[in-house]
Amino acid sequence: MPDTHYTEWMAAWLDEALDTGQKVAVEEHLAVCAACRAECELVRTGMAMLSELPSVKAPDSLWASIEKAPRSRRPVMRWALAAMLILTAGAAGLWLRQPRLPYVTLRAGAAVQQHSAAHWISTDAASRARVNIPIGVVELGPNTSIRVLSAKADEHRLSLRNGTLRASIQAPPRLFFVETSAGTAIDLGCEYTIECDRRGFGVLRVTRGWVSYESRGKTSLVPAGAMCWTREGHGPGTPVFADSATPLIDALQSFDFARGGDAALGVILSAARVRDTLTLWHLLARSTIAQRETIYERMAALSPPPSNVLREDVLRLDAPALERWKAELAWQW
Amino acid sequence: MYEACKDRVYSIALYFFHGDASAAADASQQVFLKLFSTMRSYRGDARFETWLYRIVVNVCLDSARARKAQPRGESEVLERVPAAHSVERQFVDAQRAAAVQHAVSALPEKLRMAILLRYFDELSYEEMAGALDCSMGTVASRLSRGHKLLAERLAAHPWFARKDK
Repeated sequence: MPDTHYTEWMAAWLDEALDTGQKVAVEEHLAVCAACRAECELVRTGMAMLSELPSVKAPDSLWASIEKAPRSRRPVMRWALAAMLILTAGAAGLWLRQPRLPYVTLRAGAAVQQHSAAHWISTDAASRARVNIPIGVVELGPNTSIRVLSAKADEHRLSLRNGTLRASIQAPPRLFFVETSAGTAIDLGCEYTIECDRRGFGVLRVTRGWVSYESRGKTSLVPAGAMCWTREGHGPGTPVFADSATPLIDALQSFDFARGGDAALGVILSAARVRDTLTLWHLLARSTIAQRETIYERMAALSPPPSNVLREDVLRLDAPALERWKAELAWQW
Repeated sequence: MYEACKDRVYSIALYFFHGDASAAADASQQVFLKLFSTMRSYRGDARFETWLYRIVVNVCLDSARARKAQPRGESEVLERVPAAHSVERQFVDAQRAAAVQHAVSALPEKLRMAILLRYFDELSYEEMAGALDCSMGTVASRLSRGHKLLAERLAAHPWFARKDK
């Protein structure tokens, strides 16, 4: 029997994780060492036995528990002590202190104004601004006005009166909110741009993660690559992917905001791809019963519902059934 | 990202904590909270999986130290084994899965974690070394010892002995 054994390398040899020299050394050794061959068989058997162990699906309640984690468990709380909202604009600037804005030190250039009494921060046509918040970055485009409504560790809430706001947030969901006159954009861990005017006309474009755009019980879930228009008096429209067919996008605006009805829906359904089930899924709850049936049929043709989602449940807008179907469809969004 | 990782993270935590679903859910929650809160420090200099599973390893080992968990006789895993073609087959599969789970539970923590990372996510030895904060040689050694112990402990188990006869 050789003096040197390779028992510690058996798993790596079986997994083909050794380099060529090591591999040759082990194989030459195995050829002459019965003890190591026996060890090798034991390791191989152990590996095979692990295949009996099933993967276990995480409980549905896990995500809810993350969202509802006590604030004290959220690491973001650590940031609260050091939290500071800093706005920088341009290269030149003068420092102003604004004690009435929580966590805020304002660095303002000539083109950026802070209206201290109302907590408004505005850029003019030639300026941009960058706001560093503890959970991410907010960039303001030209002619933009925001107001800081809340800057706490567990809630950062801005009001966008008009203009363009780009947010990049790294935090658990539902810590960052942007209110517009059309609704509230709620960060679900994402990067997005939101444009709006004072009357609520605008668009939300998501580039990473998800945003929930909500208004008066109406919710539009917008994933990366998708967008959502808003119009005065309508709140958030139906989300649609930016790469969807132009006729579908045009018809969707007509359906959402111009009473396009069955004609617009017909265009949407005929132009829809599998990925456009994002739009169709939202339309289920925004259509008449007769329209809903046609939407269901088109969706089922594009991506059949799982066995635990029944047609009648979908047509009566059963929330758990809709959620189950969405969970399956979302893989394709 | 959450959807893509949650089952693997939960499975590792579940088997690491001897089938204790409550401990696994708690650890998984901590993993994702930590992941979200530290995401801005991820600079892409390591594979995302290495970074994720380093968090998994730290959370599980820290929780285990806090809990001083003891192996449990029966576990939720027995109820979650995928359905087989027949009741008898399903019963046999469940018994074998339970036996493997108990054998995994009995492994020392470091060997157990190495095996679970390898089995559930098929991390490379280099990635495992990053996640476990040790050398690739140590990874190889832990996997060899862990699999050998598993085989030895299950060799005498009736469900495995029956199959091999």
